[in-house]
Amino acid sequence: MSTNSSEAALTVAVDIGGTFTDVALRDDASGRVWRAKTPSVPSDPSQAFLAGVELALRAAGREAAALGRVLHGTTVATNMILENKGAAAALITTAGFRHVLTIGRQDIPRRANLYAWVKPPRPVPASRVFEVRERVAAGGAVLTPLDEASVRAAAARCRALGVSAVAVCLLHAYANPSHERRTAEILAQELPGVAVTASSDVLPVVREFERSLATALNAVVTPGVATYIARLEQRLADLKVDAPLLLMQSNGGVAGAARIREAAITTALSGPAAGVVGAREAAAECGVDNLITVDIGGTSADICLIEKGRIGLTQSGHVGGWPLPLPMLDMVTIGAGGGSIARLRDGALVVGPESAGADPGPACYGRGGALSTVTDAHVVLGHLPASLLGGRMRLDAEASRRVVEETIARPLGLSVEAAAQGVLAIVDNNMMGALRVVSVERGRNPADFTLTPFGGAGPLHGCALARLLGVSRVLIPVAPGVLCADGLLAADIKAEFARTLAQADVVDMGAAHAIFAELEAKAEAWLEAERIPAARRSFARAALMRYRGQGGEVATPWRDEAAALESAFETQHRGLYGFTLDAPIECVTLRVEAVGAVGAPPRQTAPRGAGARPAATHPMFVEGRRIAAPVYDRATLGAGDRFTGPAIVTQLDATTLVHAGWRAEVMANGALLLVDESSAEGMRA
Amino acid sequence: MHEAVSVGAPAGERPRGSATGDPVTLEIIRGAIGAAQSEMEALIERTAISAFIREKKDFYTGLFDADGVMAVGSMVPVFGDMTGPVLARFPAASMRPGDVYWYNDCYGSRGAVSHSNDQVLIAPVFCDGARVAFVMAWAHFADIGGLRPGSISPDATDIMHEGIIVPPTRLIDAGATNEAALAIFHRNSRYPQQSLGDMKALMASVELGVRRVEEIVRRFGVSTFGDALARLLARTRGVVRQRLAATFDYGTHRFTDAIDSDGHGAGPFKLRLALTRTRQANGEDRFVFDATQTDDQSFGPVNFLMNPGVPGMALGLYYLGGDPAQVCNAGGPQALDEVLLREGSLLWPRFPAPLGMRGLTMMRVLAALNGLVNVAGGGAPAAHSAYVITIMRGVFRTAQGALQPFLLADGIGVGYGARPFADGIDAVYFVAQENYPVEFLEQGYPVRLREYAVAIDSGGPGRRRGGCGIVREYEILAEEALLAIRIDSVKNPPWGIAGGLCGGVGSATVNPGAPDERRLPPLSDGHKLRHGDILRIVTGGGGGHGHPFDRPPDEVLEDVRGGFVSLEAARRDYGVAIVDDALDPAGTAALRRVRPAAKAFHRGSYVDELL
Repeated sequence: MSTNSSEAALTVAVDIGGTFTDVALRDDASGRVWRAKTPSVPSDPSQAFLAGVELALRAAGREAAALGRVLHGTTVATNMILENKGAAAALITTAGFRHVLTIGRQDIPRRANLYAWVKPPRPVPASRVFEVRERVAAGGAVLTPLDEASVRAAAARCRALGVSAVAVCLLHAYANPSHERRTAEILAQELPGVAVTASSDVLPVVREFERSLATALNAVVTPGVATYIARLEQRLADLKVDAPLLLMQSNGGVAGAARIREAAITTALSGPAAGVVGAREAAAECGVDNLITVDIGGTSADICLIEKGRIGLTQSGHVGGWPLPLPMLDMVTIGAGGGSIARLRDGALVVGPESAGADPGPACYGRGGALSTVTDAHVVLGHLPASLLGGRMRLDAEASRRVVEETIARPLGLSVEAAAQGVLAIVDNNMMGALRVVSVERGRNPADFTLTPFGGAGPLHGCALARLLGVSRVLIPVAPGVLCADGLLAADIKAEFARTLAQADVVDMGAAHAIFAELEAKAEAWLEAERIPAARRSFARAALMRYRGQGGEVATPWRDEAAALESAFETQHRGLYGFTLDAPIECVTLRVEAVGAVGAPPRQTAPRGAGARPAATHPMFVEGRRIAAPVYDRATLGAGDRFTGPAIVTQLDATTLVHAGWRAEVMANGALLLVDESSAEGMRA
Repeated sequence: MHEAVSVGAPAGERPRGSATGDPVTLEIIRGAIGAAQSEMEALIERTAISAFIREKKDFYTGLFDADGVMAVGSMVPVFGDMTGPVLARFPAASMRPGDVYWYNDCYGSRGAVSHSNDQVLIAPVFCDGARVAFVMAWAHFADIGGLRPGSISPDATDIMHEGIIVPPTRLIDAGATNEAALAIFHRNSRYPQQSLGDMKALMASVELGVRRVEEIVRRFGVSTFGDALARLLARTRGVVRQRLAATFDYGTHRFTDAIDSDGHGAGPFKLRLALTRTRQANGEDRFVFDATQTDDQSFGPVNFLMNPGVPGMALGLYYLGGDPAQVCNAGGPQALDEVLLREGSLLWPRFPAPLGMRGLTMMRVLAALNGLVNVAGGGAPAAHSAYVITIMRGVFRTAQGALQPFLLADGIGVGYGARPFADGIDAVYFVAQENYPVEFLEQGYPVRLREYAVAIDSGGPGRRRGGCGIVREYEILAEEALLAIRIDSVKNPPWGIAGGLCGGVGSATVNPGAPDERRLPPLSDGHKLRHGDILRIVTGGGGGHGHPFDRPPDEVLEDVRGGFVSLEAARRDYGVAIVDDALDPAGTAALRRVRPAAKAFHRGSYVDELL
């Protein structure tokens, strides 16, 4: 450890979970990391934020003034949407189109039952949607000038209702935002203190329902997010911290508080993003850049594929059932986690998507949970030690046996162990479906990838998922349960600047260059505002392309020659869908990804191991019988240590299950690499 | 002469699986098949060319067992026996890996497809030389020739007016595509490039499905896989029969509903449905569905060649409800022991009666099935309107001044019936089928939308309100266009139940409020529209459930504020007084003292029975 580190900058990352708030503090000069954990305070998350930062500073023996950057991931926006607890907002729209949100895409969803389905309540009800007189045509031409009196009348109604946010989404504003801008200006004048959001700022893409929805959701979450950020900034000021506050966005990058206040919705899909970035860094330290990450928490699993160190982006995200076509990490989320409930329905054994949550939680938590969960199945089979969190939380194994016996085993005429194995087989297969979506379904062979499970429950499922998927290597990061904080430390500053063409058309190179120049100027200005030095700025151009007539676009990295660009598109189309068409290729959207890179600190190495020694044994059910499986304490393992499964590896934040037939080895950075001994690689070593 | 067509599932076709067995493997296989199905659908949606498929999303997929019995379908009650027509023409033993079969022949498939625009591709899946399953992809093709662009028209009087007919055909023979058949088909479309692109998407989808199912079978083994499919069938059949028995007591239950017109001056046409439950000598129940008393077939294209699987599929979907663990499959149809239809009737017409507008009759059959459940004491929704379509074909002037033809078939949502537990669904078309967004339409078609909104007061009043229909008003920017419209349930509005009132009705008007205003017949074609004309379509709502005076006043107030219910209707139908945007409790109490006496159903007025 260096002694002069008090002069170097510190970076602190705070990740607030449902139960605990995790903090990672890094000395950017030495790369050394200190961690802290403190109970979350759901009623005021900023309390735990402050407490955690103070704890970490104390552990490091450093002053708050040494903090150079404060990084944070928040689910405030996500929770407001999921729990329908956002601000009372209004929506201003073009006369004649008041019910765009109500109607939606006028479908009963493909997987819904038409007799049972109920249309979900909209984030802004029709009673708070007001029309203004104006009309812009498809190409952007003004057909009816904006009637400013109608805007003021709408403002009066908003005032009467006392709304705290207003969304503006006018027809074809992606092609010509002038009416929207003017409307927003008037509303801001008329409604001081009310947050005003225009669709052309949030999501300038064609299709009025999706754009209205994104704008309405942004309005609904803006007041809450702004209040939250203000409170954090106050807490930091109280601590005498003079460092920028950067927040994680859905795209896997961070952005300054000023930008987040403008587009709070960009944090709505950010929950799983930090962990993916953390997993990428953990794998990179081991020289692994092709990986599939599985983040398994209590209620859901998030799955993402990283190829050559690149995390893909998609615009087909959802939050709480709403489509939200903002750039987000290309991942698949399913309702399967440690708390997922297993039950019988009409003779079928089903696992999830309902979850026992943290309270009452699985039966083994001893808080009155009476339903079988995935965690209970693990307990029955002896996959978890007798207690968690370093002995602070005892598991009631008898309760797990009892609920699995009563709710599954007996009705099906199975042994308790067979029932528990069945529950795990179903949940593993559900997750495998999602793993296939990001790999096989996108033309990737999973065998070429390393599986990287994390989250509290991820390392319990790594070997099982790998076997199902035909993957022979599983990498468990150093701190799999608190990887989000690590991801925050590693995240770049990042934003996308996009322009949807007024009319999709074959690529016009001249026009494209002009648009790219404009987008890059905006991006430069933003990185300047974020205080990123020029040498660390980079821009990547992409075109969203399709065959004329198609509904889906393929993001194609930009080429300066039309022929090269088209051929790049066709290569991707064939890879994704298996065919190409003899049809004109058109460009729909141009996009610039702007990145402000953060410096990579020196890498840490784990102390050399003295040989793995089990700390204890635990009765585990393996292939039809009980055995005494070794339990390794991860804190005692050092680089180069090796052992074989079946085994359990315990640590504060997660438990790793090593199946029989797998070999474990501690890597130089402390990560645990599991290799399937029956695979070609396993045989070689 | 009328002959009854008896189409029950003979004993030999009963599911062979037992309801017991390894539930874990079953659930895993169910999940894997579901994933394969999602992947097939995503491929079609992403790559198809016509707006009809990729924007409106008129496509479905399914998986069948080795004998062609549907094991996993889509959540729509329109499927019957899809593989039967192929197996009848091409014996199973002649099928080889790499084969893909194709048809759109309604009469040749006994209504497995019920209008010719729907193209069905089916491919057998083999594992180690044994046939183990079939996969299907199906999509509505925008134009396959026929009388008018779009191939369906209220003017059609013969199925030959409705485009090219493809009998069950081996499109791909062990990997070799019958390019000649495709070339003939595409040449018969007015939009051959769309036809070509859509067919490529559909072919890629079934080929993907074959690959995925092969992987699943290889993983679990042929017999485990086959047994799982049989059990999925047995499970669905068991659940549906059990719930049928809970609703339908022994004896015969009847319900009658009607469509307004065939677009050629005849109508209404009555749909008379009956379900009889008896106990057999062996103690087993027997359920017989009988639609033979339905009126004769029509001259116009509203005939619905109803595959005998359809009533069971619809009842099955109703009884499976919203439980995602249940699978919609042939277990629904197999829950009925016999389905009786009468040749020459509206529901089993004789070739070559036209079928293009059968969607209207299909929707009314679904409402009548709800009625049948309700008269037997069940809790099915009140009636819905039939979704509406407008078809415009014409020419417009491009920016360069050239005249270019266009075809716009626009589906418009309606209100669905209220349910004992919830309001009816507002403003939806059907399962999985989406709208053309306003901004999308205006980018690609010579129309401009003036209004797209909920039709106020169209939802049938009730304790649970029926869903509201839609107003869609277009300004025509084409040089000229020929318009067809399809609206039903105007003379016979969707009934309300248990005190709920009937839903509102639809209309189509050209240049409303102008001196040359024209009200168009609800089911008609051949209306000339010119540049600058305004076309206003209003669609109907769903029936209400429960007495409207029992609806909490604050729910009525919210409906008034949201534009679903007018002030007058709040007063008149709900007995709720609203003054200055607030409830008037005294006024409401006074209004609600005079409570209209309800009867079982409501259509225009309360009635004990719909006849």
